[in-house]
Amino acid sequence: MATPSQSKYVTLVSNDGFEFVVLREAACVSGVIKRSLDPKSGFAESAAGRVTFDEINGIVLEKVAEYFNYNHKNRNREDVPDMEIPPELCLELLMAADFLDT
Amino acid sequence: MMPPPAPVGGPTQRVRQIRGPQSALTDFLASHNISANQIRQDANARRAAALAVEDGASEEEVATPPTAPEPARRKNESKAQEKKRKLEEEKAIAKIKASKRFQRQRREYNSDDTDEDEHARAIFEESMAPIPGQMENCEICGKRFTVTGYSRAGPDGGLLCPKCSKDLDKEEGAAKKKRKVAHTNKRRQIQSNLLDGIYPGAKDLVTLCVETLAKNVDMADDFGDLPAPLVDRLAAILAKKRLMNPETLNLFLRPGADTVTIYEGAKLQPDDYIRIFQIVPTVKNLRIRNGVQFKNKVMDHLLGTTVNLESFSIHGANLIDDERWNSYLSEKGQNLRALKVYYTDGHFGDEQIELLPIACPNLERLKLEHNQKVTDTGLSHIAKLSTLQHLGLEIYKDTSSKPYVEILEAVGPNLKTLSLSTVHYIDDSVLKAIHENCQSILKLRITDNEVLTDAGFAALFTNWYNPSMNYVDLHKCRHIDAAVPRDNPDGIGFGSLGFEALMAHSGSTLRHLNVHSCRHISLESFERVFAKDKLYPELKNMDLSFCQQVNDFVVGSIFRSCPALKTLKVFGNFGVKEVRVPRGKILIGMPNALGMQIEGGQEAEE
Repeated sequence: MATPSQSKYVTLVSNDGFEFVVLREAACVSGVIKRSLDPKSGFAESAAGRVTFDEINGIVLEKVAEYFNYNHKNRNREDVPDMEIPPELCLELLMAADFLDT
Repeated sequence: MMPPPAPVGGPTQRVRQIRGPQSALTDFLASHNISANQIRQDANARRAAALAVEDGASEEEVATPPTAPEPARRKNESKAQEKKRKLEEEKAIAKIKASKRFQRQRREYNSDDTDEDEHARAIFEESMAPIPGQMENCEICGKRFTVTGYSRAGPDGGLLCPKCSKDLDKEEGAAKKKRKVAHTNKRRQIQSNLLDGIYPGAKDLVTLCVETLAKNVDMADDFGDLPAPLVDRLAAILAKKRLMNPETLNLFLRPGADTVTIYEGAKLQPDDYIRIFQIVPTVKNLRIRNGVQFKNKVMDHLLGTTVNLESFSIHGANLIDDERWNSYLSEKGQNLRALKVYYTDGHFGDEQIELLPIACPNLERLKLEHNQKVTDTGLSHIAKLSTLQHLGLEIYKDTSSKPYVEILEAVGPNLKTLSLSTVHYIDDSVLKAIHENCQSILKLRITDNEVLTDAGFAALFTNWYNPSMNYVDLHKCRHIDAAVPRDNPDGIGFGSLGFEALMAHSGSTLRHLNVHSCRHISLESFERVFAKDKLYPELKNMDLSFCQQVNDFVVGSIFRSCPALKTLKVFGNFGVKEVRVPRGKILIGMPNALGMQIEGGQEAEE
């Protein structure tokens, strides 16, 4: 499990420079983020606790971060209200979600 | 103009006058301190005042300068009456203020002096509200109506007539009612999701997006370069909501694509189907369900194009006649690798099957389902399809064992899929033929049979050369006798022997198992198969509905033996009562209203 040196939080960076700090545990619902932060994988990201997405802009990444928190908050609950997604963001968010494997 | 001021203080007036006999009502009223005379006078005064207002409404308005925000004067009330009423009000309020109850309330709420008056007035007005049975003027429309227990208060505290209450109900009620419905729907929605295999709790982001997109599909012009699997999921959701129409179809016709899937084409017209071939001439895999309007006209157009389908799956196209099928098969059959024809009613019969071996030399996959025309003669032609690897048949005419045995003897060794649905009367000779010929089957389905024996199944799965399978569906292979439903002296159907032999043969790779309605699998057999030391690492979906021996213990053992299990169906098994379901698994068909109860779930989280 988490080594003492690992921070509880990780930073997600969008292609236009926005940074989002989210709980490591929450961000790891994404297969991609989980793998890139896994210390065993030895990626630079895992050392820095910082993941940069060159194909996701700030607006979409904000929604993604919101989803991470929503998912983390509701992880042990049964009837969860769906998260609102603005229709105009839907396609881009879908592409991002598919890429992130969430 | 003003009527003579009414004498203040009713009682004095009553004492002064001596009258003749009074009516019972007047007596009654008098005993309650109400004077009939007073009421009459009041009414007269009101009438006079109303007349005066009508006569010189404007005069009066000018004459009486707008006074300080004194509480609005009641309608049709003379000055004197008002004065009297005020006096009474003041008295009553003073009384309220003095009352012990009021003092206590003041202490409790600890409010300051300034709103003491207001508070007392509020209590007073409350007590003065008309009681049921009295007449009152509606606050909104001003009409007179009888106050009932159901009269509701208007926005300013007055009462409303039935009509205005109804209107107000309509405005506010819509929101109120909707909220209530949404709440009851939630539980239903959870159950519906469970049936779809969606676990209760937060959905993943892809699902959320796809659902939102499906909701707003009319806003989308183009999916851009969305990956194909996502487009497929969208198509499926839209179909489920019956939203696939000529407009939304455009989103799924992506020039250059090789696959077009329409899960629900009931709203599409022949021209829309023709459009598929015009916009996506590169299509190789075409899958259409409920494609009723895919008829001769469309087939003629397809025959005129250069489109060469490799996989053609069509469901519900019962308007393509046999002639068109013949020309399609003979002209475009060489490229066909997969042909799936469902629900064609009176078309696609023996002659078309006879044509298949000649016209389609590369056919690997053949599926004929819900077919009402094919007979034994037609089936035997399938034996000549030497390249066949996947075979699925659901023939509605009664068929016998002979053609199936012929097919198995000819193409059995290569078959990876063998699906024989609604084969009511085939016998153990088919099982024997499978055992002897097949050596690469991964998916096996034999359903709706009342002849095959338990011993036959056991023999099939014992010492079988075939590697272990991953999909087995033997539902409704069982003995039927309405008179003696429980006895099964001849061991008909998929029973204990067959079940244990199957799990011993294929348990290690089995992913999907359906033994729905196989009633004669015994409790001991279930207990042996799902014993402590048994492990079925791949098993994901299992249907044990109407296997009456299944109980809480068996279900609990299944959760232990099948770590990968996602869905277990136990409809009609009344032995399943209060088993706790581990987190992440779905149990469907509990015979109670509550549905499945999820366990604390420490195991799953470790």
